[in-house]
Amino acid sequence: MRWIPEYQPDVERVERFNAVARITHWGHTVTFLLCLFTGLILFLGGVDWLAAIFGGHRGAGLVHRIAAVGMTLMLVFGLLFGFKGYIAWIKDIFRFGMNDIKFLSIFPLDFFGVKMKIAPQTRFNGGEKMNSVVLMTMVSLLVLSGYIMWFPSIFPAGLVRFSYPTHDLAMIFSTLMVCMHGFLGSLHLGSGESFWGMWKGTVRADWAKHHHAIWYEETYGDKAKAE
Amino acid sequence: MARLKTNLYDVSKCTACRGCLVACKDSNQLPAVMEPFKGNYATHEDTNGNTYTLIRFIEHEDPVDGVRWNFLKYQCMHCLDAECMKVCPKKAYTKTEWGATIHDEAKCIGCQYCTYACPFGIPKYRKHTDTVTKCTLCVERVEEGLKPACARTCPSGALSFGFRDELMQQAEERVKFLRANGFPRATIYGKVELGGTNKIYVLTDTPDKFDLPVDPKVSANTWVWQDWIRPYAGWLIPVALGASAVSFVTNRLINKGDDHAKGGHE
Repeated sequence: MRWIPEYQPDVERVERFNAVARITHWGHTVTFLLCLFTGLILFLGGVDWLAAIFGGHRGAGLVHRIAAVGMTLMLVFGLLFGFKGYIAWIKDIFRFGMNDIKFLSIFPLDFFGVKMKIAPQTRFNGGEKMNSVVLMTMVSLLVLSGYIMWFPSIFPAGLVRFSYPTHDLAMIFSTLMVCMHGFLGSLHLGSGESFWGMWKGTVRADWAKHHHAIWYEETYGDKAKAE
Repeated sequence: MARLKTNLYDVSKCTACRGCLVACKDSNQLPAVMEPFKGNYATHEDTNGNTYTLIRFIEHEDPVDGVRWNFLKYQCMHCLDAECMKVCPKKAYTKTEWGATIHDEAKCIGCQYCTYACPFGIPKYRKHTDTVTKCTLCVERVEEGLKPACARTCPSGALSFGFRDELMQQAEERVKFLRANGFPRATIYGKVELGGTNKIYVLTDTPDKFDLPVDPKVSANTWVWQDWIRPYAGWLIPVALGASAVSFVTNRLINKGDDHAKGGHE
């Protein structure tokens, strides 16, 4: 049984994510998961064993805050050193069109392993676009509501109260997306190659051509090469 | 439910001697908390981790009555339908049979959800124990047949303790009397507010003249959060994990021995 597709250094590969994008991505992964597991202690209520891993409730609270600051720093780092990348990412999200709708409508079957003919996709396919939008929004909400609850005395009481359900709901939607994203970006057979795009920075050219035809043509296709 | 036992606080009899504050500190073994003078007679701006009750001094000018100086004993209202109980993730709050909302410090983790959910902002964080604290309605004393310390000590008879229904009758008579004797806006507070509280106030004026919320409401944020998000929305996460697990298996079954397994091209 295969877990994730093997890394094949000997075939033609193309760059998918640069170093800044990868550092930001994995920085967010670590800080998000730390925040998630320390935060779940309060969300779920009766999970003292989870608190014990972080040295009790106080320790978990400390880890949650440290990881939250780390997450904020990752945002700053990404914006500072990869501003162009962020813009390109957002621009690609707004290229949402007919092909993305087609993608999303047949995706449930593809997800469970049924072979489907997929319309050509840009750099991020319909599902990745959705993932990007949801995570960008939810992480922003998490960061904002988190700091409001951390320093309640400098914010109006109504806003502090509003932050509690907001933080929880944003956590649920972002974790939902993180679960799907984590699976699709590694253990899912069809899209597993994308793991190497985020880990080593490159993906197999034939995979890119097949999964992100529009992006491949625009970036590495004959026309792009000629320019 | 057993008969509710409660405190009746009659503002019109209160001389603001603060004996209740001292008795409360003494009975609960709470250290003094010194706060700088900020131009108000009150010893403390608000309840804090070591101060469960305080007397507020509220000044306001009225074009007809002139300057009024209102006193108000402020502490946990022991709401019959308590918000703090709903939001506490550790279920540290419980209701006694006779209506006191009590907080178990051993269960408390100091998250302060209750502080911000409470319509009166009563529970407060105490740093050295890393817990939240608040008025207990002297549960230990009452269960031994005694009065709460504040009611026991009150020299002017502003505080009394007894069955809620009896005290409510007394309060209504007192309000009638006050209305007929120079306090036309006298009212009861705690009878209907938030579905009733287990502390009854007889006020000589409308609640806003005592800095009390006129019509305290449970914040929509609280019920959306506690009644909807926490019990139901969280299930989205296990659903995502379950779908991934199913997909993990079906992908490998459907594409068994297939080129597909090399990682992504049909």
